[in-house]
Amino acid sequence: MLLLQISSIADALNSSEWVFPIAECFHITAFAWSIGMIAAVDYRLLGFGIKHAKPSEVLRDTAPWTLLGLAVVLLSGPLLFLSDVRMYLHNPSFVFKMYALAAAILFNYTIHRKVAQSDSSSQAVRIVTAVVSLLLWISVVFGGLFIAFA
Amino acid sequence: MLLSFAQWVQFTTLFTALRGSANIYPVVLSLHMIGIAFFGGMILMTDLRLLGWALRKRSIAEVINQFRVPKRWGLLLTATCGILMAGSKAEEYYYNVFFRTKLILFAVVIITELVFYRSVYANPAVLDRTPSAPANAKLAAVISMLLWISIACCGRGIGYIEPPLDKIHAQIEVIHDAALRASRGSYSLKGQDHQDVASAN
Repeated sequence: MLLLQISSIADALNSSEWVFPIAECFHITAFAWSIGMIAAVDYRLLGFGIKHAKPSEVLRDTAPWTLLGLAVVLLSGPLLFLSDVRMYLHNPSFVFKMYALAAAILFNYTIHRKVAQSDSSSQAVRIVTAVVSLLLWISVVFGGLFIAFA
Repeated sequence: MLLSFAQWVQFTTLFTALRGSANIYPVVLSLHMIGIAFFGGMILMTDLRLLGWALRKRSIAEVINQFRVPKRWGLLLTATCGILMAGSKAEEYYYNVFFRTKLILFAVVIITELVFYRSVYANPAVLDRTPSAPANAKLAAVISMLLWISIACCGRGIGYIEPPLDKIHAQIEVIHDAALRASRGSYSLKGQDHQDVASAN
């Protein structure tokens, strides 16, 4: 039953050759947006970027835009996924990407947020947090790209 | 001329090696995307600040000046990877309508940059004198957002088109042969072939 529903969604998505590319454009623009905003916080944690502002201020400034970008990413992504569920589920890069994405989002809204909010955290903690954050998001992008090459 | 340049470029050692490797191409593409996230994200941020929608507590000068360096690194990464990919399939890209559009949009970016450089980007401190950025700065921000988003979408579009190079080559050969025949007559063309064989022997 579920499979039937999914395949009817897929048919709707595949009925026009424009739906997938347009969803992709939204996906690409929004991921650049949200990861760029997160990177701005990471740059600040690493000691460059907006130096006059505290990390907590950069976080507060960018957080709503990060969330907006992520929302668009998380709406357009499932559209792409639903167009060919079986292919994606059997694609090792896709599976990797999903784990990396879950880890990246979890990290972003727990440790990353906490370290960025606390203006008294040590430089070492900041650097490790920023590097982990950047690496997590980079692996999400790599995972996404390699779906097409797996 | 552009076509022969494209054909020459893609057969240089570097780009031939790149085209032949199955693993390096997706890595370069991934790095291109990561560069887009860093570079494009910073551009959107700067544009949003100019529009007065984001980072409002930060002065425009701060945002523009402080993001200049990370933006340049992002641009360097994105552009390097982009050139590597385009160069390895230069002839194919030459016929790709999305690639052509992307190049035109880059030219437009450079033009708008030149137009707005003095009034907006070179001297951002002036923009902070009024509570809201002047209209030309906001216009620059809107144009910049539209252009870069279109460029990203064109970039994605490139992958959807695979110009049939074999057919194009065959067609060019037919036209070339016809031109040869017209100028020499078909018999002399055959004669030419015999001569070639004779000289080869």
